[in-house]
Amino acid sequence: MPFVRDILRHRSLSIVGMEKNTGKTVCLNYILRRLNELGAHVGVTSIGVDGEQVDSVFATAKPEVTLYEGTHFITSEQHYMKRQTVSVLEAVDSHRTALGPLVTARVLVRGKALLSGAATTGILRRHIEQLSSRGVDIAIVDGALSRLSLASPTVTDAMILATGAAVSANIKQLVSKTKFLYNLILLDETTPALRDRLSGIPSGLWAVDSDGEPHDLGIASVFLIDRAEKDILRFGKTLFASGAVSDRLLRVLAAKGRDITLITRDFTKLFITPEAYMEFTRRGGRLMVLQRSRLIAITLNPTSPQGFLLDSKSTCDALSDALQTPVYDVKKITQ
Amino acid sequence: MKIKELIKQDPGFQYVIDNMEFMSSAGRRKTLNTEFCTDASVLQAEWDRLEKAIQAIREYKYKKPYIELRHCLMQLHDLQGTLANLANHATLNEVDLFELKSLSLLAQTATGAIAGLELSRMLPLPNTSEVFSLLDPDHTGIANFYIYDSYDDRLTPLRRELSALQTSEGDPIRISELLAQQNEIQNEVCSRLSDQLIPWTDTLVTAMEQLAYTDLLLAKAELAIAWELTRPEIGDHIEYTSLVNPRLKERNEKAHLRYQPVDIAVRSGVCLITGANMAGKTVLLKSIGTAQTMAQCGMYVPASKAVVKLVDGIVTSIGDEQDEMNGLSSYAAEIIKISNILDTCRSHDMLVLIDEPARTTNPIEGKALVQAIVTILNTMNSITLVTTHYSGLGSVATRRLRVKGFVEGMSDVPLTPQNINRFIDYSLTEDTSDDVPHEALRIASILGCDQEMISLAKDNINH
Repeated sequence: MPFVRDILRHRSLSIVGMEKNTGKTVCLNYILRRLNELGAHVGVTSIGVDGEQVDSVFATAKPEVTLYEGTHFITSEQHYMKRQTVSVLEAVDSHRTALGPLVTARVLVRGKALLSGAATTGILRRHIEQLSSRGVDIAIVDGALSRLSLASPTVTDAMILATGAAVSANIKQLVSKTKFLYNLILLDETTPALRDRLSGIPSGLWAVDSDGEPHDLGIASVFLIDRAEKDILRFGKTLFASGAVSDRLLRVLAAKGRDITLITRDFTKLFITPEAYMEFTRRGGRLMVLQRSRLIAITLNPTSPQGFLLDSKSTCDALSDALQTPVYDVKKITQ
Repeated sequence: MKIKELIKQDPGFQYVIDNMEFMSSAGRRKTLNTEFCTDASVLQAEWDRLEKAIQAIREYKYKKPYIELRHCLMQLHDLQGTLANLANHATLNEVDLFELKSLSLLAQTATGAIAGLELSRMLPLPNTSEVFSLLDPDHTGIANFYIYDSYDDRLTPLRRELSALQTSEGDPIRISELLAQQNEIQNEVCSRLSDQLIPWTDTLVTAMEQLAYTDLLLAKAELAIAWELTRPEIGDHIEYTSLVNPRLKERNEKAHLRYQPVDIAVRSGVCLITGANMAGKTVLLKSIGTAQTMAQCGMYVPASKAVVKLVDGIVTSIGDEQDEMNGLSSYAAEIIKISNILDTCRSHDMLVLIDEPARTTNPIEGKALVQAIVTILNTMNSITLVTTHYSGLGSVATRRLRVKGFVEGMSDVPLTPQNINRFIDYSLTEDTSDDVPHEALRIASILGCDQEMISLAKDNINH
């Protein structure tokens, strides 16, 4: 029973897919079944209203989630009406989605249901709180397509990363893409003292001097960095970007100097390509995060939505070797 | 006209509404749908309730009844759609029924929270206990809802079998059958419950609207306390002591600038307002407009003492309303607007606020036009305020007020364009001369404008 006990050490968990059809839902079903066997009180929701019964892109069947007795779940009114469980409504949210208001219910007789949820991390955080207040041991969020934001440690405590043939049918490429994201997830954290100092900064690019004191560089946008009148490295070579980090920022910094350390909030703020990251690191650049996400497991779906099937064992092995961490085939662990 | 339309016409009033704190979207909706009221007895009754609400908040603000009531209002959902479906005899689904159960529980809880207080006499909530009982067959006493087994005898055995099959991962075809049967029964129950609830439609609508109204009233009362608003009297004229423009006051306070309230009294006919530039004439018009709107929407007003004359509506011509999109010049847009105002005033008693009419055309025709506008409005029942820089209009207006304006030595700090506000006395004085203040050059000079321009202008006056 790999990694399920790890989950219970956290209050909330997100399941994030690198692409659509990387087996998030299969993975979620596995987790829900194991947690039920362990007798855990589970709360579950999703991000966004992505839960069509049939995947609208590839028309592959979208598996529903099996919910067990006692589970609290949040979904939209329309999905609630289609559920195949017996459950009690406990709350209706005033926040409305395209599929009606979001409702919270408790399962009386197990069965399948479609999950949908808040489209913003703000409301999602409120829902995780709400589930916690109903006494759940763990609140699980099923991720929608390429929505990494919910894996931010400010939203969920821990994460599971789902990868698979949908990312690339070429094992080498699949490994390199997964490894790149994996490395970003595991970026080193700053000291807690520095985190306390920087986390309240709402926006902009800041310099951090050798005493850990932040200085506003007065650069409103990365696009204006070239026109900054004063040397952005006048306080030292450590910088903090409060918002998103782009390829452009990395390239500009690589051009400005060597051995620059760029601190970001967490890996979900990084919108960068391996190429730009490599340019930055070749010049001695280093990325750090205020808060690292706790990655519990990586799962693999060897089937691509076009029906292409990778060899499960060799792909898992290739990934495990490259990442130095176990990778599980979702279809196999559920058997 | 409703508040939701009025706020589009008056940014000052929009600011007022934006500063009201509603507990529920239903309370906000109810406020935005409040009509501009011309009936004195309706307004008096509303101000009576507001007065009591203010007393209640002062007395109970941090005490249990008020906290509980606010908590109830925070949980209030706007169920207009659901209640309309009920009224139209549509079948409600489980989520709708949950919402109605919550509403009936909320009404009961709110009633309990304020029982025995003056507020409960003022805000009577209907008895919804029978609705709650209908939706709580197992007497749980909480708002949770599903199609309980007790609604239909067939449900218990069906769900027992379903549960056993699901747990043992039994025959999926049988499971599908049972789920389909369950859905059918649930739909029947929903349909039956919907029918049983139809007679309670009015009760539930009243409960929701009364809770929404409570939210509205408390929001008005909280604002009246925070901004020290005053209950107006209704009279045959408009009179304010220490009238404030809330938006400007807040802006000045944020910028650490002085804010000076103004006293003013105006009657039917035209009151001309003169005064130097920067003396706050336009702000005065806007303040009077906002205060009148607040009063006739059943709110208190931003002054220390207030008399209002109820009018049929407020019409204004303030600011640059150049409608370039329609290809109109600023003069054309303005004169069409004023023409419409005159037309309205022929059949209605209005509050008319006109800022510097005809200022964008030649002064000879401009003055002649202003004279004509003032002459016409002066014979009407409407209350009109007109600001102007034209002199020699005294004979045609009922009254003339002048903003005292720039006073050298009013403050002992050196005068700069940034602190000029400290040197202006915004109070009004009865004007006996028929001349307007000539301070345009002085102000230009204080603002540090081009010296050559100013001295040439002075020469031109002297020649």
